[in-house]
Amino acid sequence: MSDKDTTADKTLFTPFNVVAGFIIIIGTVITIMRFTGGLAAVTNLSDNNPWGLWIGFDLLVGVALAAGGFVTSAAVYLFGMKKYHSAVRPAVLTGFLGYALVVFALHYDVGRPWRLPYPFIIQSGTTSLLFEVGACVALYLTVLFLEFTPAPLEWLGLKRVRELVVKMTLVLTIFGVVLSTLHQSSLGALFLIVPSKIHPLWYSPYLPVYFFISSIIAGLSMVIFESTLSHHYFTDKMDEAHLSENEGVTLGFAKAASFVLAGYFIIKIIGISFSDNWYLLGTSYGIWFLVEILGFVALPSFLYAVGVRDKNLKLIKWTSLLAVLGIILNRFNVSLIAFNWHLPSSERYFPHWMEIAISVFIVTIGIVVFRFIVTRMPIFYEHPEYKDNH
Amino acid sequence: MNKGRSFLRWAGFLAVAIVSIYGISVHGVEKISKNTSAIRADAIRIDAMTVFGKLERPPVEFLHEAHTEALTKKNKDCSACHLTEKDLIMPKFKRIKDTGKKEVMDIYHKECISCHKEMKSAREKAGPVECGGCHREKTLYSSSRQPMGFDKSLHLRHSNSQEKKCERCHHEYDEKAKKLFYAKEKEGTCRYCHKLETKEKLISMSLASHIACINCHSRNIAKKINTGPVKCSGCHDLAAQQKIEKIKPLLRIERKQPDAVLLKTAKKGVVIDNPNKMNFVSFDHKAHEEYNSTCRVCHHESLKQCSECHTLAGTKDGKDVKLEKAMHQTGTDKSCQGCHGIKQNEKNCAGCHVFMGKTRKKEDDSCIKCHSTPVPEKGKILSQDEEKALAGAMLQARKPVTGTYKEEDIPEKVSIKNLANKYEAAEFPHRKVVNTLVKNIKENKLAGYFHNQEGTICQGCHHNSPVAKKPPRCDSCHGKPFDPENPLRPGIMGAYHQQCMGCHKEMGIAKPVGCIECHKEKK
Amino acid sequence: MSISRRKFLGWIGAAGAGSAIGNTALAGGNKHFTGYPGSYAVLHDTVLCVGCRLCEAACNKVNELPAPVKPFTDLEVLNKKRRTTAKTYTVVNRYESAGKKGPLFRKIQCNHCLEPACASACFVRAFKKTETGAVTYDSTVCVGCRYCMVACPFEIPAYEYDEPLTPRIMKCTMCHSRITKNQLPGCVEACPKEALTFGKREDLLKIARARIRKYSDKYVDHVYGESEMGGTSWLYLSGVPFSEIGMREDLGVTPAPDLTSGALAVVPMVVGLWPVLLTGIYAISKRKEKIAEQELNEAVKHATDEVKEKAEAKLSEALAKAQKEKDAAVEKAVKKALEEAAKSQAKEDS
Repeated sequence: MSDKDTTADKTLFTPFNVVAGFIIIIGTVITIMRFTGGLAAVTNLSDNNPWGLWIGFDLLVGVALAAGGFVTSAAVYLFGMKKYHSAVRPAVLTGFLGYALVVFALHYDVGRPWRLPYPFIIQSGTTSLLFEVGACVALYLTVLFLEFTPAPLEWLGLKRVRELVVKMTLVLTIFGVVLSTLHQSSLGALFLIVPSKIHPLWYSPYLPVYFFISSIIAGLSMVIFESTLSHHYFTDKMDEAHLSENEGVTLGFAKAASFVLAGYFIIKIIGISFSDNWYLLGTSYGIWFLVEILGFVALPSFLYAVGVRDKNLKLIKWTSLLAVLGIILNRFNVSLIAFNWHLPSSERYFPHWMEIAISVFIVTIGIVVFRFIVTRMPIFYEHPEYKDNH
Repeated sequence: MNKGRSFLRWAGFLAVAIVSIYGISVHGVEKISKNTSAIRADAIRIDAMTVFGKLERPPVEFLHEAHTEALTKKNKDCSACHLTEKDLIMPKFKRIKDTGKKEVMDIYHKECISCHKEMKSAREKAGPVECGGCHREKTLYSSSRQPMGFDKSLHLRHSNSQEKKCERCHHEYDEKAKKLFYAKEKEGTCRYCHKLETKEKLISMSLASHIACINCHSRNIAKKINTGPVKCSGCHDLAAQQKIEKIKPLLRIERKQPDAVLLKTAKKGVVIDNPNKMNFVSFDHKAHEEYNSTCRVCHHESLKQCSECHTLAGTKDGKDVKLEKAMHQTGTDKSCQGCHGIKQNEKNCAGCHVFMGKTRKKEDDSCIKCHSTPVPEKGKILSQDEEKALAGAMLQARKPVTGTYKEEDIPEKVSIKNLANKYEAAEFPHRKVVNTLVKNIKENKLAGYFHNQEGTICQGCHHNSPVAKKPPRCDSCHGKPFDPENPLRPGIMGAYHQQCMGCHKEMGIAKPVGCIECHKEKK
Repeated sequence: MSISRRKFLGWIGAAGAGSAIGNTALAGGNKHFTGYPGSYAVLHDTVLCVGCRLCEAACNKVNELPAPVKPFTDLEVLNKKRRTTAKTYTVVNRYESAGKKGPLFRKIQCNHCLEPACASACFVRAFKKTETGAVTYDSTVCVGCRYCMVACPFEIPAYEYDEPLTPRIMKCTMCHSRITKNQLPGCVEACPKEALTFGKREDLLKIARARIRKYSDKYVDHVYGESEMGGTSWLYLSGVPFSEIGMREDLGVTPAPDLTSGALAVVPMVVGLWPVLLTGIYAISKRKEKIAEQELNEAVKHATDEVKEKAEAKLSEALAKAQKEKDAAVEKAVKKALEEAAKSQAKEDS
């Protein structure tokens, strides 16, 4: 009522909280349905389409977009680009939350989630690329967690532990890049085993390379995108260094992304030439493929370059959204659209609304936790006791 | 800021424009006309340039009747596209023969495109004028053209209509005088000289038949005489072919052909001086004429006797096919055994013969069925008439009637109860089946001759065992399945079902269907 | 962040040692697995099949699967094309062919590949190609990731999607438990036409070829499964091209594991090389920083020295000037005094 509104400065029922709360309630209900009715109760998965939105979006897109962590920490700690230092903690946080949510989402999709550790403790199927993905994701989640801990440790005032962790930064960063290379490419390599089910324009022996390079693009673009949103909603939490370095981060990352997108475009063309698939570009799938690589790879590369040259931050920020959508489109194309392209349309898959709801639920949880952390812990600012102590 | 926005807009437009232009141009113009079906008898592939080498562009799909219809509407006739030589309409497009690569190509391009352009400017529906419109990569039509030929009935109708004046169609070529002439009693099918491809002055069968047939038919149409077709589909459409009237009674072609022939390995007039040489074959030529709708089934290159080209050692004219192969090769209808083998696939025969397979070893005594005429005594040369008489006598002596055992020797019912666990025993109406099989082939002289020994026909089911009045039971050999030492022998259950159901399928017997019609379920 | 040489070497050593543990990953190469010697297979002769569905009924009984919605005697179900499901290990489909009179039938079930895609894809090794030739599934370790369903080129494994807590993959087992007891698989035993032949894979290939030779106009001259996907233990004969009975002829002869072994072989390379490369980059960037710092210091020192020199020179100049002025002033004063003295002396004298 009106009394509450006037007496309290901050009410719990902000529009965002209401919507988020609603989503979380629905998500919880669907969770219960999933674990009492099985996958059939909440998904449109079938024997012909065993992998759906939860793999295509939550796993593939989630891992790709969380790549900002390794990209940023590699840039700052390995390549020595100190001027991007303020971007490290937000990127690591995004990465850590991203991977943690991927593992969380996996608990919904997999038939017996409590058996997820089995490949490591009971029996290892080392011929499987999924084992590769699982092992590297598990290890990388640990690495990201460790890279993230300095912030909460500073918040909790645990000086000695924090010192110890900071000493490991270099090793963790190297380890993180190694693991990221492996699991980002392995997610692409998962599909190498089914050339007969994926449209030849998207199937290529270079799939692991494509996924790895596009994950770098995803990481760079996500940092720009996330910082755009954060600077809008969390400006009051940011310190001087963070605010002043932002333009440099945006321009620098946009420049890098432009180059990597151009390189990615070139290797995609090389891939078509390698498989001699030019004639397929005239088919309807071919047109869709051209939309993906012209509109969502070549175009953002060009726009980033223009933005950097003109120092047009607004253009760069919108382009980062375009690039992120391009990555999402690519992962959807490989896992949902080009996959099973040979089946008649009656046997094709479209997600159940509950699958979409759970994906939205998981992203919402991510945003809520992100907000909790950045409003309390030294992510966007340096803790006064630890200034210049990195 | 603004610069960026306008850039974005232009880039977007450009991308959309490129993608849409590319997408549309690749699909191109899909159909020539909306109402024609894609499978037609008049679909011609214009690839005349292949005589000059490899094609640079895809061959052109041409719908002849679409064009004749369109031209008829404009009161034009064949001369709109076809030239005339010696009062004969020539089938090639606007030319008598193929002169050179450029000339032929120019004829097509000039004539086709100019006519289309004319019609287009007159706002009429016309064909394409651009390269890709005719030279399409993707074929839209498929030809349903059936090859056309004379059978004896059609030939008789033609010879009647021509008042039996054979010289009107049949001719030979004098190499020395370099002209055509008529040779009486040497008439054969056009195909003996006119082959698939034109060779210098000897035109192809396709050209020859279209020139001869269509010209005569169109002349008759002008005279309002009932005659054959001039449109593609009139001859080459399967439905039209099936509607061709069959003349009855079908009189024998008068070509002084023999009734009975003595087939021997030596040439005419050669002394047969070795009585140990293989027996001759007495061949019923008259009966075999009735079994085939044309002469060229057997006389595939000429009406001469087979052994003139197919000698014992083989000749170049006979393409090195020796006499043995010409007479016995399976899988073709040109040889004796081959044609007999093809007859075994007929409905009334297939039930037994399908299971005998292709790699079955022939019994030794099956040769004597044909090679039954003994060589006359040493030194004697038979005259033509003597040979014919001998052959005739041998043929008369034959009894082409299927032999069976007496009724009382054929069990009436056989109770098959080997595997009665889920089902009752199957009561097999044995005698009824045997009698039906015999009845079906009663009129068939081929079957009758080869099955005339009683007990032969039983071998259809009682196989892989000697001929006997009491043949072995099925379970004497067929037991458990998958015996590694007898990999092609099914177990007893498989043997019954494969034999019974297989025979029914091959003979087109609709019933019994389903399990319980043969053996009832056990209660 | 500086790391001591000792620590660095220690980490690298550990990484190297870690990567040396574990089995070697053989990438393709020229090894060709033709099946365990003496392993069994099944030959399905689709020319003999009449679509009676007795095999489906027997499979259901032997594996204690739930009763179907429509009974196995209902032949109307053949009007639609079916695939294996969580409740059916095998189905028979009907096909029409322009070339042949009458309908054609084919039985679909797991093909028990020699190098199964499912076994290669499974990250807990729940699938095993046994020595009998059957590919078996162990539901006690299965996590339910369904990668095997993605990987199978024949679209065979089915999943119990409506089981919330114990969902299993369901597929034909070639009656592994029966064939180890010298019994026939259920479907093989039930077929009245012996359209299914059971035996050793080598023998079945010979039988298939003999059948093709003996009835050369009945069969297409190809044994499906001899080399498809590296070879399968379920072989097929057909009277029409295999694509007309719903079988894919574009799968190739590469076994599924060979499709991913290349990517897997790269993993140890990355693990070995990346740390070296990245440390190198780090070292280079650190060195650049150090040099940049040094140059900065030098430049600063140079600048300060210069300034100092200039200042000193100015100072001495100023001092000399001052001294000069002082001397001049003194001289002037002395001169003046002398003059005064001389003047006063002269005055006194007169």
